[in-house]
Amino acid sequence: MSRRLDPTLPARLREMGLMDNSKCFNCGHCTAVCQLTEEGFAYPRQDIRMLQMGLGDALTERVEPWLCYYCGDCTKSCPRDANPAEQMMALRRYLTAAYDWTGLAWKFYTSKAWEIGVLLGLALIVVGLFVVPHLLHPGQIQWEPLDGGVAVSSFAAVSWVHLGDMVMLGLLSFLLLSNIFRMGRRILGAARVPIPITLYLSEAWHLVTHFATQRRFGKCNDKEAYWVVHLMLMSGYAIMFLLVIVFLSSLQTDVGLNWTTLPGYFATFALLYASAYFLRGRWQKSAEVNRYSTFSDWLFPALLFATSLTGILMHIFRYYLTWPAGTYVMYVIHMAIVVPMLMVEVPFSKWSHLAYRPFAIYFANIRSKALQAAQKTQPGSLGVPPAVSNALEV
Amino acid sequence: MNPQRIGVYVCWCGSNIAKIVDVEKVARVMARIPGVEVSREYKYMCSDPGQELIMKDIKELGLDRVVVASCSPRMHEPTFRKTLKLAGLNPYMLEMANIREHVSWVHENQELATAKAINLTRAAVHRVMVHAPLVQHEVPVNRATMVLGGGITGMTAALRIAGQGRKVYLVERSDELGGRAIGVGRAGPHMNSVAALLDNLTTRVNDSAYIDVLTGTVVGEVSGFVGNFLVRLANGTRELTVGAIVVATGTQPFDAKKLHRSGYGRFPNVVTSTQFEEMAASGRFTTESGKAPRRVAIIHCVGSRDSETHSYCSRTCCMDALRFSNILRDALPDAAIYQAYSDMRAFGRDAEEFYARTAERDVTFLLFDKLLPPTVSEAPAGDPYPLLVTMDEIATGIAIEVPADLVVLMVAREACSDAKDVAKLVSISVDKDGFFIEKHPKLDPAATTTDGIYIAGSCQGPKDIPDCMSQAGATAARVLAAITMGKVKVPATTATVNEDLCVGCQTCISVCPYGAVIYLDKHRVSRVEEVICKGCGTCAAACPAGTISPRHFTDNQVLQQLEGLLAAEEG
Repeated sequence: MSRRLDPTLPARLREMGLMDNSKCFNCGHCTAVCQLTEEGFAYPRQDIRMLQMGLGDALTERVEPWLCYYCGDCTKSCPRDANPAEQMMALRRYLTAAYDWTGLAWKFYTSKAWEIGVLLGLALIVVGLFVVPHLLHPGQIQWEPLDGGVAVSSFAAVSWVHLGDMVMLGLLSFLLLSNIFRMGRRILGAARVPIPITLYLSEAWHLVTHFATQRRFGKCNDKEAYWVVHLMLMSGYAIMFLLVIVFLSSLQTDVGLNWTTLPGYFATFALLYASAYFLRGRWQKSAEVNRYSTFSDWLFPALLFATSLTGILMHIFRYYLTWPAGTYVMYVIHMAIVVPMLMVEVPFSKWSHLAYRPFAIYFANIRSKALQAAQKTQPGSLGVPPAVSNALEV
Repeated sequence: MNPQRIGVYVCWCGSNIAKIVDVEKVARVMARIPGVEVSREYKYMCSDPGQELIMKDIKELGLDRVVVASCSPRMHEPTFRKTLKLAGLNPYMLEMANIREHVSWVHENQELATAKAINLTRAAVHRVMVHAPLVQHEVPVNRATMVLGGGITGMTAALRIAGQGRKVYLVERSDELGGRAIGVGRAGPHMNSVAALLDNLTTRVNDSAYIDVLTGTVVGEVSGFVGNFLVRLANGTRELTVGAIVVATGTQPFDAKKLHRSGYGRFPNVVTSTQFEEMAASGRFTTESGKAPRRVAIIHCVGSRDSETHSYCSRTCCMDALRFSNILRDALPDAAIYQAYSDMRAFGRDAEEFYARTAERDVTFLLFDKLLPPTVSEAPAGDPYPLLVTMDEIATGIAIEVPADLVVLMVAREACSDAKDVAKLVSISVDKDGFFIEKHPKLDPAATTTDGIYIAGSCQGPKDIPDCMSQAGATAARVLAAITMGKVKVPATTATVNEDLCVGCQTCISVCPYGAVIYLDKHRVSRVEEVICKGCGTCAAACPAGTISPRHFTDNQVLQQLEGLLAAEEG
């Protein structure tokens, strides 16, 4: 099957922050120096070549852009200053947009106005959801400390907040999983052989471990610190996820500190530290990965930092200052940041790469093993070069 | 027969010969051969003391023939012939034995090498016994030159020769000077105006008092030899007498219709590079429907580097294709430009930089294996672009199709269809592709094996303008060197017919590669024109009556040499 060239692809990627992609003459130096590339999964040369040629459709079948963790070795040693690492980054943006059926990812990556507009719109809705019921039914809020504590539930009833959590969880899961489903269909479809159902289960453990540990980061040159910070970030997410979704009634009590406090402190510190680390890097631009940050690269850690900061302030107002009015205002601000951030970032933007990376490894291994199985039963009949059926080193 | 007085001189060549060959033994053995008056070895025979040694012996011992056992005669035969001449001997009374290239440089066993050196030197001694003195003649030279072909090369050669005040007849078949450069707008990599260059050349040619421009003229027949050619023009009205002829007949574009896969002749939006030049000259780029093209595919190597058509590289098309991309990018900023190539040959000065600059102008390069060139076909109904170029893109390993509304074929440059006729006209050779063969690709690239006939430009192989200009200058210098002396030496080692024995079968005439044998109707015998003869010996080998003998390579001389080679060992 021949692939049709689309000359508009580079221009479309340039809208998403791709810089000059004409310098590369495909020598393959980048692939030679890459610590992560391996037989059967060769990049970045092939991906950049496909980008130059306008093979956008074929690129959506590739997992390789997700296997790159942007150490920048290729860019540092590129004889043409073609910046291969940044081109891989642009391809990840392209793939995020290509998987997304709503078209919003594309909008967010190409238009600051869209991204900011949606964030502000969602923030207004959140504020409205808190303020409007109290305007309609005034007199419920406890403005004075009660029994020496702030009665948060008088302002934001746990049952309602929990309902909101569930709605968010459902919506975000649906959006993200539907995009991942589309990703899997493209990648696995490229094998052009039937996929044994058992493979989905037997390969699933990779998915869990890579999602939780993001350990391929550790294989990159000099990326150990980066990996540790990503680990912190993931643990922060996981703890906060459990506290908010499962243990909200313990987290948000009207009595004092309890067992949730310590893990909550750890998670908050982890998120604050990680987001500050990423912001500092983008500001200093000393590491290769940070030299070409786009708006979306800035936005996510900035929002995450603001989320953590407002959470801490709310906690201080509530427990250490016992100041109900301040606590309520900070609660609304906190929610007006965290809800839009999650809605925009999780399925459509920067956060999604944390999910796409482990899924790429998962799908790649399913595809490789399906090809191996098919080659065993019908040797030589597939026309598939053996390298393609190599399983990824994990 | 007079007792012969032969001198044998065995050279050490420093240690080159002496470290493998026992040169003293060689000299000792030679001294025993009857007729050998003196046999010596010396460190460097070709040095002044070495040559003086030979001259002294010739004078004092009355030697009448000399054998030098040293390096290849290609190296020092002229040296030692001169030595003999200075000592008052005929230079052809010399024979050399090559004991360096044929012995010391290629053997390791000293004993066997010495035995071989003895055999070769003895063969030379036996041969020199039957050498005869030969005389080298000189013939006067007509100082006018005919240049065949009025393209950039021909005009440049004519101007250079005329610049030295020599008469030039510039013969051009078409009615206009300029050749294949007519219609070419600019030349890469510097995008110089070719029209301005042509204008400059034609004006200077037409203004030159020494150049007779004969456009619309075809040569009918060429006879004679170096220094004295008689040229009859095809219209029969005029005859030219010239001393030298420069062939600068150029190339013609390959007919892409011969390649079905190119789509040429089948789809109106497939054009050749020649047609694209016309488009570029007019400044209007349109598809068949009259619209500006939006997807242009330029395909390299159409008819070049291809087993079905021409296996050679046409050399100019890669840079032309880059130039076309630049022209297209200037005219159509939003069009997609593809170049399907199999190797980008950017070999000239600034060519690589030109390639890099072009690549930065949003031109997409697609690599194909030259064994699997792209195919142009009609796009399926409903496609936005009428053509599809399909190929295996080998930098990605992906089979691709390129939608296009204009396909430009970079067609090969091939030898003119009548190149063989031209070659026959002036008695020169063509290679398998129809390009004229130079005398030596490195040592004498502007001359041919026929004295007085020179070649320049693309008729010898595709060239770009700078290369054509360079060779035109080299050829002009070669011509001027030949005609300025006013006379030319002809070799003494020519064939000769024993007319008493010749039966007039004319076999010799049919085999002579130089057209040097003529038939005398009156006497019904063949005669060798010694001025043209190269002494190759083909006629002598072919003559059924054994009446032709090449001087210095007579049957007797060769047999004597063999005799010496196979003679029983004397110690």
